[in-house]
Amino acid sequence: MVNMNVNLGGLFMKNPVTTASGTFAAGMEFADFVNVGDLGAVTTKGVSLHGWEGNESPRIAETPSGMLNSIGLQNPGVEHLKDVELPWLAEQGARIIVNVSGHSIEEYREVIYALEDTPADAYEVNVSCPNVDAGGMTMGCDPTMVAKVVGTCRSATLKPLIVKLTPNVTDITEIAKAAVDAGADALSLINTLLGMAIDAHTRRPKLARVVGGLSGPAVKPVALRMVWECYKATSVPILGMGGIANADDAVEFMLAGATAVAVGTANFTNPHASIQVARGIERYCREQGVEDVNELIGGLVC
Amino acid sequence: MLFDEIATVVANQKLGPGLYLMTLKAPRCALEVQPGQFVHMMISTNPSHVLRRPFSVYAADARTELIDVLYQVVGGGTFEMTKWQEGTRTAIVAPVGRGWKPPYNARRALLVGGGVGAAPLYMLCDQLLDKGADVDVVLGAATGECLVCLDRYFDLRKPGLRVLHTTDDGSAGAEGFCTDLAEDALALAARTGKRYDYVAACGPEPMMRIAAGLAKLYGIPCEVSLERRMACGIGACLSCVVDTVDGKKRACVDGPVFDIRELPW
Ligand SMILES: Cc1cc2nc3c(=O)[nH]c(=O)nc-3n(C[C@H](O)[C@H](O)[C@H](O)COP(=O)(O)OP(=O)(O)OC[C@H]3O[C@@H](n4cnc5c(N)ncnc54)[C@H](O)[C@@H]3O)c2cc1C
Ligand SMILES: Cc1cc2nc3c(=O)[nH]c(=O)nc-3n(C[C@H](O)[C@H](O)[C@H](O)COP(=O)(O)O)c2cc1C
Ligand code: FES
Repeated sequence: MVNMNVNLGGLFMKNPVTTASGTFAAGMEFADFVNVGDLGAVTTKGVSLHGWEGNESPRIAETPSGMLNSIGLQNPGVEHLKDVELPWLAEQGARIIVNVSGHSIEEYREVIYALEDTPADAYEVNVSCPNVDAGGMTMGCDPTMVAKVVGTCRSATLKPLIVKLTPNVTDITEIAKAAVDAGADALSLINTLLGMAIDAHTRRPKLARVVGGLSGPAVKPVALRMVWECYKATSVPILGMGGIANADDAVEFMLAGATAVAVGTANFTNPHASIQVARGIERYCREQGVEDVNELIGGLVC
Repeated sequence: MLFDEIATVVANQKLGPGLYLMTLKAPRCALEVQPGQFVHMMISTNPSHVLRRPFSVYAADARTELIDVLYQVVGGGTFEMTKWQEGTRTAIVAPVGRGWKPPYNARRALLVGGGVGAAPLYMLCDQLLDKGADVDVVLGAATGECLVCLDRYFDLRKPGLRVLHTTDDGSAGAEGFCTDLAEDALALAARTGKRYDYVAACGPEPMMRIAAGLAKLYGIPCEVSLERRMACGIGACLSCVVDTVDGKKRACVDGPVFDIRELPW
């Protein structure tokens, strides 16, 4: 028996695999493919206080080994999450990480207040969405702003606080340290890389918003590098993501320093991907004679 | 319930310019798929295509366990598919979406298909005929060579069926657009009192808007099948949203077929 339990900054997970926010909704749509209670946790789609409409269509474009999205955090608001999705997830026995968004520091705080008496087990504070004009990445690129948001969220809750970082910065460790100093229990990275795609024939952008966030296997090398950098620069656990499609990918993130991993775009290619990654990590450990999955964390040999 | 099924290519044949018919062995999908639903197909032979591609099911036969997909080559994914040969395996999430929902007592239906939009109407046509309805089908395409579904409709040979066709260049059938013929048919029906009680349209969006406008003019219930870029194809990612009178809905699971009363057209 391999020990698969990990502790992500106070969030106990029965295996190191969760879903990347926005790629799995709250799991209901995947119920025909994945028993969400078997995952380490489910991370829900970014939620704001009263809901947002999101951006114009087209909202996605495929790129080689990846995709761009500019969904723009469309969501029906935190009350809907409380009334519908969270009770369902709790019934399935899932650990729940709620991804929290806001246009202002106050909105982040209000969303967390609204979730305090719910089955939400942890918060992932999204200061990294590239697809909204206020909040999101505009905050996540500035260490002072990140510290303010995280500090405010910290004082609003005792639940584990995970801060999700954007890769669209010169030095991610600077932002990571600011988040940790302000009280983050764990870091989550990476959100999508800002990119764009053009149709040469029509001379038009492929996304209505022109720019969007790149995800999928194409971003994996960048994500691994950033997890490695943050692992060396901080002492909190890391939730690694960016292009994870199979167990080997996940193990690579753990070797670079991640305590847990999230499967995102791969859910679109293969709706069973999340649970297959979880089972695959266990198989890897068995085959490699690893008794405790925690041994992999930061185990890079170099 | 949705499932991810391994489907095996049985045939993949060119029918016209950039138009291919793929037959796949997919027992569960063949059994369960309803008219207007689609499959979300992995481009299994090229992993750099991280997204699946949605294709309507053209025909399905539970007995032979086969489904047909008519596809037009428009980009990298569909080009890759042209290379698939007998025995190529891929994965399909099926059966996806809300299909056609004609009034249960529909007696006289008008189906309007533009280009490959003819395919998703075929099972609907068959089903309506089996229920004893009269069905007029109007198919349009750029040229005669592109009217690749026509023979299959004729081959249904069921009472109550009438198939008309147009081409943009007049190389087959009447010259013009399928919506021109649809307009004539609706006008004639109104004059003679043999009114249609259902219109279904599938094809390029401008064409469907015209068809929907006509149905509205004559006060006839109408459904259209919308195409949007899709990532998950199962309702989770909100890539495929459609503006409706009740806010944004997902084309993949709330559609692809929408009643035009739901649309702000
Ligand atoms: C519900 C539904 C049913 C469909 N049924 C059929 C059918 O029966 N026959 C057929 O030929 N085509 C059908 N289409 C369109 C078909 O999905 C696209 O032509 C196909 O995805 C193009 O892939 P590509 O890689 O060749 O094109 P590319 O342009 O290279 O594709 C890039 C990306 O854009 C997406 N995309 C491009 N065009 C469309 C489009 N028109 N609709 C949705 N996504 C698109 C692709 O899926 C891919 O993610 C349907 C679309 C939908 C939404
Ligand atoms: C369609 C889509 C929607 C997303 N929505 C969110 C979101 O709401 N909140 C968030 O923090 N990240 C969001 N992300 C980013 C992912 O959670 C993840 O950080 C990123 O996609 C990298 O992982 P991947 O390559 O495995 O997809 C979204 C990504 C995609 C593709
Ligand atoms: S394609 Fe993901 S919600 Fe429709």
